[in-house]
Amino acid sequence: MEYKGCSPRESVQIDQACEKVLTKLECDFVGLALQNTDGPDVKWHYAAGNSNEKYKRITVRYGKGIAGKVISTGRPMYVDNFPENIAGKALEYPIMLAEGLKQAYAVPIHFKGIPKGVLLIGNRSGQPINENRQSTARDAARTLEKKLNG
Amino acid sequence: METQPAKKNISSYIIQSQEDEIKRIALELHEGVGQTLYSLYTGMQFIQTAVDQPEMKDYIGDMAQMMEKTIQEIRLLAVELHPPALGTLGLLPAMKSYLKLYTSTYGIIVDLQNEGKEVQIRERERITLFRVCQEALANIARYADTMSAGIILRWEPGKLSITIQDKGKGFDVDAAMKNSAGIAAMMERMLLINGRCVISSKIGEGTSIDITLPLY
Repeated sequence: MEYKGCSPRESVQIDQACEKVLTKLECDFVGLALQNTDGPDVKWHYAAGNSNEKYKRITVRYGKGIAGKVISTGRPMYVDNFPENIAGKALEYPIMLAEGLKQAYAVPIHFKGIPKGVLLIGNRSGQPINENRQSTARDAARTLEKKLNG
Repeated sequence: METQPAKKNISSYIIQSQEDEIKRIALELHEGVGQTLYSLYTGMQFIQTAVDQPEMKDYIGDMAQMMEKTIQEIRLLAVELHPPALGTLGLLPAMKSYLKLYTSTYGIIVDLQNEGKEVQIRERERITLFRVCQEALANIARYADTMSAGIILRWEPGKLSITIQDKGKGFDVDAAMKNSAGIAAMMERMLLINGRCVISSKIGEGTSIDITLPLY
């Protein structure tokens, strides 16, 4: 099923799911980005632990930014020690800049087997996201996937 | 910052060559590659209608869709490299168009104010002013940690002043001048068109960048 937007009740459930991931993984930020249904652009729809509301206005093109890259490749992505260890320019990572993140791990969320969304967990403190936490984030993505697929 | 005549000429030549090259690539992408892909796209649509096999029809349809996405990407890339509005419509429309893209990319709202009537200035000066504003806004997205910023364009008799300000983190201007090539490049670019760039910032209070250009 393709993402068609959520009812207010479902939105609250997704917000709560993001909060749960934030608590479980003891990270600083959790965000959920979804590809628009009417075009290739990707928008951040839900967040927990956000330090401001900038994420709501951020739209990245398919293949750009962390969310766009994860959706276009269908593979998870780990950014460590931003902006030091990155491919390209810091300006190509808007969500990292908007939330002041140092580390981020992003996992694709599939609809009908096609990557259409991204679950991102991030840290501002500089604490690396180890394999254990990455695995928990992948599990959380699968749970969210089921929720979003109805 | 003083610029010696020979050094000024070299800097001017390098910056101008770079701008010319960016413009050439943008035009080539838009008018050359983009147009060719569009011809291929319409050709594929034609083939799709002519093919009877349903699987082949779907396959060609998918390829045409991918081609359409690529054409859109190429167009956006060309506009990002060199906004066409800068050459045809002027500085203010180009800034308005860029700010839309900036807010949707970084989530930072920019309040643009224009005082006075825009007068015609040379393309080289328009490009320089646009690039300096772009650099200032990029620095806000990278370092200022703020939700909003403001730009004021003042068209006065004999002078254009632009102020880019934010109420973000602020920084030590002297230290940044020594370490940041971006800030030095902004000043250098303005000097090359006989303009000025003054940066003032206070930690915890924000930053203001004032650029002025004499109008003849």
